[in-house]
Amino acid sequence: MKQITAHPLHLVLGLVVWSVWFVALYGGLSVACEVAPPAAEAGALTWINASLLVLTLATTGVLLLLAWASLRAAPALKSNRRFILRIAAAIYLLSALSALFIGLPVVILPPCV
Amino acid sequence: MNNTETLHQRFEKVWGNLPGLGTLSAVNHTSIGRRFMMTGAVFFLIGGLLAMLARTQLALPQQNILSADVYSQVFTMHGTVMMFLFAIPILEGTAIYMIPKLIGARDLVFPRISSLGYYCYLFGGIIIMSSLFLGVAPDSGWFMYTPLSSAEFSPGPGSDFWLLGITFVEISAVAAGVELTVSILRSRAPGMTLSKMPIFCWYILAMALMIVFGFPPLILASVLLELERAAGMPFFEVAAGGDPILWQHLFWLFGHPEVYIIFLPAAGIISTIIPVFSGRPIVGYRWIVLSIILTGFISFGLWVHHMFTIGIPQLAQAFFAIASMMVAIPTAIQVFAWLATLWTGKVVYNLPMLWVFGFLIVFVCGGLTGVMLAMVPFNWQVHDTHFVVAHLHYVLVGGMFFPLIAGLYYWLPQFSGRMPSERLGRWGFWLTFIGFNATFLMMHLTGLLGMPRRVYTYEGGLGWDWLNLLSSVGGFVMAAGVAMIILDVVLHFHFGRKAKVNPWKADTLEWATGMPPTPYNFASIPNIETRHPLWEQPELTRSIPQGQHGLTEIEHGRRETYGSDAISGKLKEVMHLPTNSWWPLSAAFCLAIVCVSLLVRFYPVAIIGTIAAAACLLRWSWENGAHPAAAPVTENEPRNPPLHSRTFDGPGLWGMVITLLADGALYLSLLFGWFYLWTVSPEWAVPEESAVSLPWLTASGIFLTIAVVLYNRLVARLRRGDDSGLGSGLWLVSAVSVAHLAILLWVTVSAPLQFTELAHDAVLLVMLMFLIFHSGLSVIVTALQALRVRFGYVHKGLPYEPIVIKPLWVYSLGIFWCSLASFFLLPMAWGMS
Repeated sequence: MKQITAHPLHLVLGLVVWSVWFVALYGGLSVACEVAPPAAEAGALTWINASLLVLTLATTGVLLLLAWASLRAAPALKSNRRFILRIAAAIYLLSALSALFIGLPVVILPPCV
Repeated sequence: MNNTETLHQRFEKVWGNLPGLGTLSAVNHTSIGRRFMMTGAVFFLIGGLLAMLARTQLALPQQNILSADVYSQVFTMHGTVMMFLFAIPILEGTAIYMIPKLIGARDLVFPRISSLGYYCYLFGGIIIMSSLFLGVAPDSGWFMYTPLSSAEFSPGPGSDFWLLGITFVEISAVAAGVELTVSILRSRAPGMTLSKMPIFCWYILAMALMIVFGFPPLILASVLLELERAAGMPFFEVAAGGDPILWQHLFWLFGHPEVYIIFLPAAGIISTIIPVFSGRPIVGYRWIVLSIILTGFISFGLWVHHMFTIGIPQLAQAFFAIASMMVAIPTAIQVFAWLATLWTGKVVYNLPMLWVFGFLIVFVCGGLTGVMLAMVPFNWQVHDTHFVVAHLHYVLVGGMFFPLIAGLYYWLPQFSGRMPSERLGRWGFWLTFIGFNATFLMMHLTGLLGMPRRVYTYEGGLGWDWLNLLSSVGGFVMAAGVAMIILDVVLHFHFGRKAKVNPWKADTLEWATGMPPTPYNFASIPNIETRHPLWEQPELTRSIPQGQHGLTEIEHGRRETYGSDAISGKLKEVMHLPTNSWWPLSAAFCLAIVCVSLLVRFYPVAIIGTIAAAACLLRWSWENGAHPAAAPVTENEPRNPPLHSRTFDGPGLWGMVITLLADGALYLSLLFGWFYLWTVSPEWAVPEESAVSLPWLTASGIFLTIAVVLYNRLVARLRRGDDSGLGSGLWLVSAVSVAHLAILLWVTVSAPLQFTELAHDAVLLVMLMFLIFHSGLSVIVTALQALRVRFGYVHKGLPYEPIVIKPLWVYSLGIFWCSLASFFLLPMAWGMS
């Protein structure tokens, strides 16, 4: 992976990705339930849950990767840039964990009930 | 007279307000911040008085002191005043007052915008309050749920007062949001990197950006509801394809972040005070910055937790329940950082710290009930009871009012040059703290026993009697505490002992601005290489006023401050700031006329007012760049660093981009409304044939695209130092875009839109009006630039303004094609599939 530079965008990029994922998660669920709601008896084993789970895991993976890249690049830099990348790494990590925890209920709850 | 005194007299001449009535034209951040705070305090007293009325009515069962109707007006106005006219403006006022002083700047970067913001707030507040005195105040709750607030159930003008007044006030909030963001990022003292910035500035930066993104959904919702009430456009009416739940979504998209918009600056005050009174730097500066950014984002993902009982799927509720619990984590990070700082420091227990401890206790309790409410089954159980009211007050009073008073006592010497009374102050604290807990701790129990909120009275013998009585007594004790604080503050101006320089031994720069501060804050601006300048260089309190640092030239008569790089704090330019002006007051006054005319439905005057306001704003914009009133081109102007209007990356460009972010949030809210109604509204109906001519709309878009391409080419050439044909090029762009605008107007006017019968057509009309407004604005400001070329205010040496306008053109083009795709092409494709 290409070395991450200490651009201030990294201070918010993780949470921007998280926000887009969150809107896609809630919006996608709402639209899917309006357009093609699966039977309530199917429980959590539906195409909607499967799609949301894949989306969640993919987002979590990308964010974890970015966290690792930021952490790896930080020590070599001067104080202000190191400050930015260390915060960015924590934000990527916490965004990944947020996505994972918030997305987890798709494993157990039916989508449209 | 020594040299220092002469220097200060010269600065005073350039930076001072005009005498007498002329002070109304003041734009200086110290004056404007003070006015915001004073006005906010007056509204707080009115809001408190309304709370006392409500508590008097509820003290005993079956009372008739207030009728049901008046009680509804009282609690609606209490919430509205406290949220919109007190909490946000007073914190913005604090930020406006403090930020330049903390970052080593002489003023905010758009001082006239500050002034406009203040007058919008003042006039908007007066308009809303007048409804109370006229006996026609809004009565649907501070959240104004539809259809309760719609014409059918609220036929009087109450809702209109709320919608128009609040929208007016919110212009002020967004203006402050834009201004504070750009000022913090671009006008810090040289050397002050992001990592050296005072922690309070991080909080205010987050708050300002949250306002930029959070307020537009409510502005849109208010505009839509007012259009429904005044013009019969049925956005929230189910029978016509609208949906009242859309209001709730838009309101809480604003309303939840609002809680954090209020909490963050208050937490910033706490993070500023605790290290000073612990005598050590704050523990975990980086962790706090992290938690501020996290709070700023995650708080936007919680809005549905206010809507757990409206019937959304359990899975969606689970998403929002977990997100609601997660937002406690960044808050907890801050609480632990504060506790660790106190733990490892040598704490001085005095008045500001008393309020800090009060905050820690009350706010943590409020946070805990917040986590309880995030759990869906519990939320269902206590929904619409006094438990929720109690939680809200623990969070808002604990999380905002206590820190605010801590900040008031902390910065009072900076404000007046005198110290508060410890004895009166302690009486004020304990009465407030005891009274507050007696009121709201009991209310948790009242709620758990099932007492619903918003009822004006109740039966006796339900177990609520003594709790309500205690709550009411507590309310009056708290009021006595507030009275004590007011007394202390008023008396201290006369009887308070004189404060020493930096009386609390603080670390930040505001204590080097003089007590009370001078209008220009710093006679000379130092390089700042540390996070704690006054701890590491205490001599700054002398060397700054003695003019031993940068930017001491004042003979030119310009108000100047340094412009620096947003990240590294490296010196980039000298920003010349506008001086006292009547234009902001005139523009706000015209807008107030528009507001009142719309209230009384006298539309011709509203149109005249709009034109007059536009004229004021455009005339104001004329005094920019190299205009004689701004910074005329002279032989001896600074070259290294240059004046900002001679550069490509001045604050105006940043202001434009941040404003467009707010505008974009409004547009996205409109797009959300469109998709929401399309997919969710039970009676959504689409006309068989589109009323709008798609080919003509496309033709209009092609003209717009040509105009934007031409404009971008002109700007690219200007950047290369080539201004040949600039004036004629700008006229050509204006002409092409007039063709675009003419077609767009014709398409809109000629379309047989059934905007009073179909929500579909009503939304389309709003979207078309949105495009017309932006295209019209782009044409006018470009034509103005063409004129400025003729006057010699714009050329290759003065490229500032055409570059500022470029993002507006790109944005107008973006929303045009995005609208065409979302509002016309996508529904067609969907219909065909």
